Amino acid sequence: MFLCGLTLVVLWGIVALAAPLLATSDPIAINFEAILAPPSSEHWFGTDNVGRDIYSRVIYGTRLALYIGLLGVISPMVIGMTIGLLAGYFGGWVEMLAMRLLDITVPFPFFVLVLAIVAVLGPGIENYFIALAMVGWVGYARLARAEAIVLRSQEFVLAARTMGFSHGYILLRHVLPNALSPVVVYMMTDVTLVILFGAALGFLGMGVAPPTPEWGIMIAEGQIYVSTAWWISFFPGLAMILLGIGFALIGDGLARMLRIER
Amino acid sequence: MTALLSVRDLTVKFGALTAVSNVSFDLERGGALGIVGESGSGKSVTCRALVRLLPDTARISGSVRFDGQSILDASESELDGLRGKHIAMVFQSPASHLDPLMRVGDQVAESLRKHTDLSGTKIRQEVLRLLELVRIPNPENWLHAYPHQLSGGMKQRVMIAGALACQADILLADEPTTALDATVQKRILDLLNELRRDHGLSIIFVSHDLGAVSAVCDDLIVMRRSELVEAGPVADVIGNPQHDYTRMLIASHPDRQAITTARRGTSGTPLIEARNLHVRFGNRTLSDLFTGGDSRFTAVRDGNLVVRPGEALGIVGESGSGKSTIARALVGLVQPVAGKIGFDGNAAQITGARRVGYLRDVQLIYQHPYEALNPRMTIYNAIAEPLRRHRLCAPSDVPDQVADLMAQVDLWPELASKIPGQLSGGQCQRVAIARALAMNPRVLIADEITSALDVTLQAQILDLLLRLQKERGLTMIFISHDLAVIRKLCHSVIVMRRGEIVETGPTEQVFDTPETDYTRDLIAAIPHLPEAVPMRSR
Repeated sequence: MFLCGLTLVVLWGIVALAAPLLATSDPIAINFEAILAPPSSEHWFGTDNVGRDIYSRVIYGTRLALYIGLLGVISPMVIGMTIGLLAGYFGGWVEMLAMRLLDITVPFPFFVLVLAIVAVLGPGIENYFIALAMVGWVGYARLARAEAIVLRSQEFVLAARTMGFSHGYILLRHVLPNALSPVVVYMMTDVTLVILFGAALGFLGMGVAPPTPEWGIMIAEGQIYVSTAWWISFFPGLAMILLGIGFALIGDGLARMLRIER
Repeated sequence: MTALLSVRDLTVKFGALTAVSNVSFDLERGGALGIVGESGSGKSVTCRALVRLLPDTARISGSVRFDGQSILDASESELDGLRGKHIAMVFQSPASHLDPLMRVGDQVAESLRKHTDLSGTKIRQEVLRLLELVRIPNPENWLHAYPHQLSGGMKQRVMIAGALACQADILLADEPTTALDATVQKRILDLLNELRRDHGLSIIFVSHDLGAVSAVCDDLIVMRRSELVEAGPVADVIGNPQHDYTRMLIASHPDRQAITTARRGTSGTPLIEARNLHVRFGNRTLSDLFTGGDSRFTAVRDGNLVVRPGEALGIVGESGSGKSTIARALVGLVQPVAGKIGFDGNAAQITGARRVGYLRDVQLIYQHPYEALNPRMTIYNAIAEPLRRHRLCAPSDVPDQVADLMAQVDLWPELASKIPGQLSGGQCQRVAIARALAMNPRVLIADEITSALDVTLQAQILDLLLRLQKERGLTMIFISHDLAVIRKLCHSVIVMRRGEIVETGPTEQVFDTPETDYTRDLIAAIPHLPEAVPMRSR
């Protein structure tokens, strides 16, 4: 299963890199002679309301999807892991502080908060990443804290302390590696979520600006034609699902590989 | 007279793995049979096969007859009639076999509701009667308690009460006392004997502890690597064992172990000592601030101990008595609220930058062999870690040092590249000892290091520690609830109860002329092997 997921994601990676070779036409070229054309030998996935080739747009959209998905999860993961591990391992006032910070973030719906931050900072992918870092760490922090709380009273962590090792060393060498697996799995599902929210932002005009080929914007644009020209939303949607499944399978596989049989 | 339960050529296979091979035995009405063996010997699987409580992947062959009825051919609904009603089970960890959200009364009433047509107040009366039967004091008070409010021994009593609810003919007890303190074990064993005598209950008692088995059973079978190696009356098997493995089991029992410590006189300045140690857990509440009180839980009150160089001190007591807390205070894992810890004539530097120097001299070995090692670290790295971090030797000497330490604790060099999950419990404990020795300590504190191991492994680990003690002149503190072990190993003993030291003195004095009832109870609870051939009335 892990291999299936890895193959899927690697294939998408190849698609992203080789986009100019794979695409049959310019993804942003408008063609008023072929508006809303159904899938055919000329336009494999059909065309949209201004005659742009859906196939080529999906291919080019892969670049942005992977870029947003992979980069978008890194900073929340690093911030969340750090806060969570410190809170769980030390407890006391460190934990108290981290948990209150978490309490402030959690009550707001995730997307509403991201939206508000992007609205203040201005549209664009960079600001989306900043918003994600400010909001998305919560899930990672919770997971990491839960793991660290269990680990800090495990005998091998106590043993490391009675060996006279420093807290920083113990956190890096003994706590972090053993707290990683649930976090990695969560990260893989988070990738899909980050891509989806990126698309939603694009739909609201706060993410990537049209006419850049982006799956979310494409799905949004096809919405009003769903009953007459289903292909506009269908193919980017399918692409999104296939990428999501790929990451989910990798996540599951990693969880299984990282688990240690006792 | 035909046997109540008759087992012939019982074989259980999981795929290619044979868990039980050709086991045969009989259990007569009112009889008690013990099944003894190490973990993994197939004794628990045998026990579960008797009531077909095994996963679907298990293939069972042979025959099991209860009162003439074949259990292996019985339908699922016939089995439901048998289980609980005629054959009841009690498991090792009462905590995990009681529903945490179910009150004690309901827990016991469950099988009454299923197997009898009693109702309402009748059930309540019956439950009370059962709780009284298993000697739970004031059963009315406990009816509405949840399992977490009960002690381990109480939970096991509730389990037994539930098992007896329908006047079962046979009680299958799978390691029922292994997780319990010696004094509690003694009481459960007494209870089983009483139930057998007064109610004609037949018992199958599975355990790795020969002493516990011989306290309850008439007959004994010994299992090893899924096979039955010896069977017969308890007194015969122990008095005249035929198989090498049985002899080894008997020899491993603390009663029979010829361990002797060099019991030198206790003179000289103390190497490690604690004075008026107080340890409290939890946080102060706001009301403490106003009343000047302290509502924190007191784990250790007024703890005093003195160990001179080369001596071995034993700390005994039931679980929760504070013995581990003292050990952890000695290495700085818990901070005492008051009291002094001294080392080699000076105040010990337990916190701060100079603690590494102190910890090089005082090392603690933990209870659970698997948990004490980082599951992702190889054995080599685990042992090399202190050498590298504290630069205890030149980097180029680390491989030799590790190899030397592994040899000292009798670990094969090939194990160096393995991770803890690939090792046995005994091997992991050796790794933990080697890691502690890497610091080249003068004091070794062993916190229940053998209680998670099989009897034969226990004996090996204790032998190893004794050898190290002699070779390196180590000073030791042994913490154990197993008094037999302490008696063999230690020069002096501290007896703890509820955070307080109730008795202290040289080992012989404490064991031979105990001053408190508590110590007497502890000593009386040590399960012994029968010496001669005590014939029981049948």
